[in-house]
Amino acid sequence: MTISDWSKVKRPIPVPDDLTKPFWEAAKKGVLELQRCQSCGRYNHPPEPTCTICLSTDLKFEPVSSKGTIYSYSIKHQADQRFSPVVPYACLVVELDGTKGAVLVGNLLEAPYTEAKIGRRVEVIFEKLNDNITLPQFRLVKQ
Amino acid sequence: MWENRCKVAVSGVGFSKVYRSAEIPLANLALDAVKAAVEDSGLKISDIDGLSAFSALSASGHDVVDGIAIVSVDYLRRMLKLPTINWLVQVQTAAEGGAVMQAANALLAGICKYVVVWQAVHVPPGSYKNLPGAYASGEAQFTGPYGFGGAGEPRHAMAYMRYLEQHNQKKEKTATLVVTERKHGNKNPNAYFYKTTLSREEYLNARMISSPLCLYDYDIPVQQACALVLTTAERARDLKPKPAYLAGYGQRTVFEEPGRFLYSVPGMADYMDFGRSSSSLTWERSGFTPKDVDVAQIGDNLSSTCIYGIESYGFCGRGEALDFIQDGRIDLDGELPLNTFGGAASVGRIHGTAHIIEGVLQAQGRAGERQVKNAKVSFATGGGAIAAATTFIFVGDPY
Repeated sequence: MTISDWSKVKRPIPVPDDLTKPFWEAAKKGVLELQRCQSCGRYNHPPEPTCTICLSTDLKFEPVSSKGTIYSYSIKHQADQRFSPVVPYACLVVELDGTKGAVLVGNLLEAPYTEAKIGRRVEVIFEKLNDNITLPQFRLVKQ
Repeated sequence: MWENRCKVAVSGVGFSKVYRSAEIPLANLALDAVKAAVEDSGLKISDIDGLSAFSALSASGHDVVDGIAIVSVDYLRRMLKLPTINWLVQVQTAAEGGAVMQAANALLAGICKYVVVWQAVHVPPGSYKNLPGAYASGEAQFTGPYGFGGAGEPRHAMAYMRYLEQHNQKKEKTATLVVTERKHGNKNPNAYFYKTTLSREEYLNARMISSPLCLYDYDIPVQQACALVLTTAERARDLKPKPAYLAGYGQRTVFEEPGRFLYSVPGMADYMDFGRSSSSLTWERSGFTPKDVDVAQIGDNLSSTCIYGIESYGFCGRGEALDFIQDGRIDLDGELPLNTFGGAASVGRIHGTAHIIEGVLQAQGRAGERQVKNAKVSFATGGGAIAAATTFIFVGDPY
């Protein structure tokens, strides 16, 4: 089973905004940081203007674990033409350790798409898109 | 119980012809549907004094051109040239069901007499976008770069993947829902797939779009419009069709969603709360319970959303729907005839108004070949994915 060659894919480039800049600044440095409510401890992703649980505006970005579990996934068999070089490919939703309720979307890299399974352990790796944006991604944790 | 139950009724309904592409401008189809509904009521266009609609694209990322991609209230108002307009609203929240609810509210307020509600859905040129262009902003910045978008709405696919895993269920059981719906659709002359059958084998062998969802788990894009006329119960009794009295309605009230773009998708978060909140208002207001329902139309823009709906509206317990639908239970002569017009699986992507219209027809006894015997309590949802859904109960006999 082959591993998709993502180098041929032309990914849409994220546009950081007032809420999301800290996330992308950290990612550029190879660090995963999520917005955390300082009142109730809740992680919010995507970042919000107020905590989704307690409505506090006391929110700060904190580093989070780089390991997590596949919460769910879907294999794209039909896709936007920019992604056709890698079809079929796995889209993951990952719950990072210690951040219950916050999930991140990513692709499964360095493995055939068939390896995507709910409950599997993954770790964050970083994929540089350009000088401004580095994309958090996932690969399986080596058992 | 709601003191205004059965004080408003749906009278006539109408459909335009259905097309696989935008060969006829959407505005013309909306007009056809509205004219058909008005005529079906026994009214003239000039009798209409209220307009209500929810106008949405069939898929995100395409241009919103009024008259072409949507037909707004303002646009139709200009086409109809009504001599009197007492009330009109362009609905945003609660989707197409919201348009019906608002019409009911206006009628109860006594500010208009005959309201037409329509829905017109467009097939955009080319394939669905749903994925940003070169740059991904807003919520899409966390999804677009990963190819998490495009055809097949992977959010919904992921949700069903998790649902199946959590309830230790077999995806293949979903075949019964879609195949039964198509059987019903083969009795619906307004359905895109009226003349096209679908076998269990075809469903099980269909190509995957975004796993675990296959081609037939999605509704086919079509260009069509449908409409209905609402009025007060007394006025409805003077019109042609037997009135479908509104016994109760409700819209979803639960909105706590961390990670909006994912948790707002039923199946990822606790979908039971979503359907429960809109249906509990309807049960409370009408005085009925799920056990009283004789026929149900439940949003199935994806097969999975209907599965969640069956559970979260209370027709069976959590995780039980894939078993509940087996053994003929959802057939026209079954215990709970479901999506008797064929569902989105048969009519294509015209969103939720067709579900409401069938709920009306069943209560009126006008569903022809599809008519469920003794259909006294008719349940219908408006808006798909239960996330936006409203629920309704129509009865043929006021109480």
